[in-house]
Amino acid sequence: MPSTPQLSPQEEQEKLLEEGISIVKNQSFQMKRCLDKGKLMDGLKHASTMLGELRTSLLSPKSYYELYMAISDELRHLELYLCDEFQKGRKVADLYELVQYAGNIVPRLYLLITVGVVYIKSNELSRKDILKDLVEMCRGVQHPLRGLFLRNYLLTCTKNVLPDTEEELATNDYEYGTVMDSIDFILLNFSEMNKLWVRMQHQGHTRDRNKREQERRELRILVGTNLVRLSQLECIDMEKYKKVVLPAVLEQVVSCRDPIAQEYLMECIIQVFPDDFHLQTLNPFLKACAELHESVNVKNIIIALVDRLAQFAQNEEGSGIPPEIQLFDIFSDQISQVIQNRPDMPPEDIVALQVALINLALKCYPDKVDFVDKVLETTEDIFNRLNLDHLEYGSPVSKELMRLMKIPVDSYNNILTVLELSHFGPIFDYFDYQSRKLMCSYLINNVLENDTRIPTQDQVDNILNIVNVLVQDQSDQPAEPDDPEDFAEEQVLMGRFIHLLQAEDPNQQYLILNTARKHFGGGGDKRIKFTLPPIVFAAYRLAMRYKEAKEEDENWEKKCQKIFQFCHQTVGALIKADMAEMPLRLFLQGALTAGEIEFENHETVAYEFMSQAFSLYEDEISDSKAQLAAITLIIGTLEQMSCFGDENHEPLRTQCALAASKLLKKPDQCRGVCTCSHLFWSGRSASQEGELQDSKRVSDCLKKGVKIANQCMDSSVQVQLFVELLNHYIYYYEKGNDQVTIQVLNQLIAKIKETLPNLEANEETEQINKHFQNTVEHLKLRRDGSETEGPSYEELVL
Amino acid sequence: MSFFGFGPSADIEIVLDGQDSRKTAEIKTEDGKKEKHLLYYDGETVAGKVNVTMKKAGSKMEHQGIKIEFIGQIELYYDRGNHHEFTSLVKELARPGEITGNTSYGFEFQQVEKPYESYTGANVRLRYFLRVTIVKRLSDSVKEQDIIVHTLSQYPEMNSSIKMEVGIEDCLHIEFEYNKSKYHLKDVIVGKIYFLLVRIKIKHMEIQIIKRESTGTGPNTYNENETIAKYEIMDGAPVRGESIPIRLFLSGYELTPTMRDINKKFSVRYYLNLVLVDEEERRYFKQQEITIFRRADKARRAAVAGEKRQTHHSMQHHKEAAPPPSLKPSEDNSDSQ
Repeated sequence: MPSTPQLSPQEEQEKLLEEGISIVKNQSFQMKRCLDKGKLMDGLKHASTMLGELRTSLLSPKSYYELYMAISDELRHLELYLCDEFQKGRKVADLYELVQYAGNIVPRLYLLITVGVVYIKSNELSRKDILKDLVEMCRGVQHPLRGLFLRNYLLTCTKNVLPDTEEELATNDYEYGTVMDSIDFILLNFSEMNKLWVRMQHQGHTRDRNKREQERRELRILVGTNLVRLSQLECIDMEKYKKVVLPAVLEQVVSCRDPIAQEYLMECIIQVFPDDFHLQTLNPFLKACAELHESVNVKNIIIALVDRLAQFAQNEEGSGIPPEIQLFDIFSDQISQVIQNRPDMPPEDIVALQVALINLALKCYPDKVDFVDKVLETTEDIFNRLNLDHLEYGSPVSKELMRLMKIPVDSYNNILTVLELSHFGPIFDYFDYQSRKLMCSYLINNVLENDTRIPTQDQVDNILNIVNVLVQDQSDQPAEPDDPEDFAEEQVLMGRFIHLLQAEDPNQQYLILNTARKHFGGGGDKRIKFTLPPIVFAAYRLAMRYKEAKEEDENWEKKCQKIFQFCHQTVGALIKADMAEMPLRLFLQGALTAGEIEFENHETVAYEFMSQAFSLYEDEISDSKAQLAAITLIIGTLEQMSCFGDENHEPLRTQCALAASKLLKKPDQCRGVCTCSHLFWSGRSASQEGELQDSKRVSDCLKKGVKIANQCMDSSVQVQLFVELLNHYIYYYEKGNDQVTIQVLNQLIAKIKETLPNLEANEETEQINKHFQNTVEHLKLRRDGSETEGPSYEELVL
Repeated sequence: MSFFGFGPSADIEIVLDGQDSRKTAEIKTEDGKKEKHLLYYDGETVAGKVNVTMKKAGSKMEHQGIKIEFIGQIELYYDRGNHHEFTSLVKELARPGEITGNTSYGFEFQQVEKPYESYTGANVRLRYFLRVTIVKRLSDSVKEQDIIVHTLSQYPEMNSSIKMEVGIEDCLHIEFEYNKSKYHLKDVIVGKIYFLLVRIKIKHMEIQIIKRESTGTGPNTYNENETIAKYEIMDGAPVRGESIPIRLFLSGYELTPTMRDINKKFSVRYYLNLVLVDEEERRYFKQQEITIFRRADKARRAAVAGEKRQTHHSMQHHKEAAPPPSLKPSEDNSDSQ
């Protein structure tokens, strides 16, 4: 047909198709009219003319398909008519021969198929012979597109008439055929269609290759339908599938050497045939996979199969994997064969295959850790053989390997099970720094999310070796330091992880902590500030455990001592890393713990810890705010402790008072001594029962506070300090400190009332005022309250 | 065809025995129309009656005798004056005398030999007819009546398949096989083409039945080729190893039995021409003679296990002039039209 140059290829297709369809409509109309009048021969002539449209070479596969659909609709009409006629007994002699006079092969064969099926449906002639004849005669169409559609027509028309019985059914004198005939029929049609389909690849110009491959993909279903038809034959049992069907199909697939066909058909086989067939034919199927063209993505095929079988294994209704089928071994062997056969297979695909295998192992044999381990071992071997290491982060193979490694982590959700995989850890060495860090964080996160406790020293050792990248500096780490936020995040993870190192047995726990200490101790200054404190806390907790169970272990005191030594040393490591505030706090916590446990020498230990805190305070903490905070903590700690005898308590509390009064800023001094006053009131010494309640020393402290406050230049701060002092006084007044009288309160209140109005009105003043008002309110309530207990407020002047 | 003379005349009618029951057959006339006549086979007796009816009742007709002839003749169109009679039998029906009324004469040619088949071709015609002649002084009254003769053949004892490998070196090699070399008129040609080597892009392949009518002898031989059938057997380009089936029913085509050197005047031969057309419309063909014969309706259907004759021909080795010895590439399309 001539084409006008201004038409786009698509428009041209539309035009050609339209013309074709209109001829089809016209001819089919005339065909029907002839048939209605009983003029069969004329009807057939129109049918033949209509079918002549399918001889075109101008249509794209898509347009050809539409034309084909239009025509096959019309042919159905002819078939129905003929069937009707046959049923009425009006047989047309030699119709099968008659249609073969058509000079052109394409229309002839369409008619032959149509008539052949009518003969079959009317039980004329032997069904078996007709089928065989039709499928053989179709060889005459060697044009790929026309041949594919012709054979598809054959397949569609014969859909419901294929013999599907084991034994020959004797009907009339003709052979009906058995399922074996249907198998032969479809297999032949399948291999012929596949050959045509493959041939399309080699036609036309190389520059149209992409278009051609696209077109081929559009046509693949035509070829695949053969397999679907096979799968619909009920009489194909396992035996026939194994001995006849599959070998023939695989033979065709392998020998066609065409990647597109191989990839599609292998997946087709997986999808259309039942799982229990696959289970019995794994070896031949996988062997065929190994023989496929090198550019076939075998990985996808195998993965598809594994996924199916894994699903099958998990399906409750199914019978599961029969025990005699060594599913894992078969896949494992065949996959390694596939890898061996393809030296050019990209490593990411190799790993992807291992991913499939590991999925299979986990889904079908959830209890078999060694299967998973075997996959990892194979993977390791492969990397070794390929001389791959430091897989670059983000590269396909690194991504795949991460996927592989995450599977057991996610699937077990228990790092202890993961640790049973002896080849899990070694694989980490093949990652580069970045990937290794990500993988390790992933692993540790999994432990945290699942709250997995790690109960033995070995396991701790094991894990920390695996996640070494998060524990210590690496030889391959980049010169540039990590992003500080990311770094902190990772180290916080490790800190949290340490809390999960929990053994049942305290002795074991001690070993665990020692191991952890060894690993983390080498982490460098930046890391230990995140990792050592949790170890120290864990150690204090362990000491408490010994105390709680002291009846069970006669050596508990010695062990506690050892623990405190361990802690002392560990905190020392932090000090060496130029830290002060954290070690100070850890010492204080240690002192508190030691004081509470009351093991032999505990007072000495506690004193040592307190004094260490003091020396840190004195030597290392220079910032005034930090100093105030530190001394407040020290005072608070000491106030809480009751283990010291007077000979120890006295110097400590005096030291506190001294330190407080030596603070740099007056307000700090004032607040420090006030806080310190409580040491003399509610502090406890081992030498006497109850609180010290040294009214004199308390009063001295407070007086000193008042004096210091008076020295403050900033009146706003001064008032604030007075209000705070007032509160301290009130507290002690209420507690019954005889040195604190109502007069003192009155004086302070008067002083505040006097100064407060002179303050500049601002937010700070407002706050001070509020604080004061609340205090006064409290006093009023006390004064006017009905409570009889406690000191009298009668003389209070408000 | 009747021929009327002058003078007192009579109508002559030849009525053959069994006119209503005997089988008839059709044959083409020279101008392409079809005529239907009674059908006879070799050795069959041709008998009947000649009725002479006076045109005017009661008139008389003098004559020098009445005879009937049975004639088989070959007419070459380019030599109309000379008809070659290969059979001529005469019977006298009446001695010279007078016919006074309607008269009827019986005749019988017993077990006449009819060696050839009736035939109408492009340049030649072979016909059988009866001719009644009433010899008169001025002009004879003549009446002719055609019959049709079919020659029957037994199923050939030898009917081997035709199998041959042909090709063009490094370009195309095929092997074709037709199941027989001799086919009867209602037969089916079954065969296959096997592609051994394909380096050209074939577009389609067809089988033609070519009828070659040769007339004359020696340097004056005229060949007339007619393509009786064009039958596409393959669409598209095959690759090496493909085997394409052939099945061609003959009964739908106008064929005659093969005639070889009929009375040294003419021959009619049939050839199967396998034609491959490539994408550039170049044609490659191979002709192979087949013999066509007429089978008796109830012929003995002997299964013939013909001795397989396997002949390998190739372009180089084949020395025959015509038909083309091997698959022959040609640019002209004349043979197909």
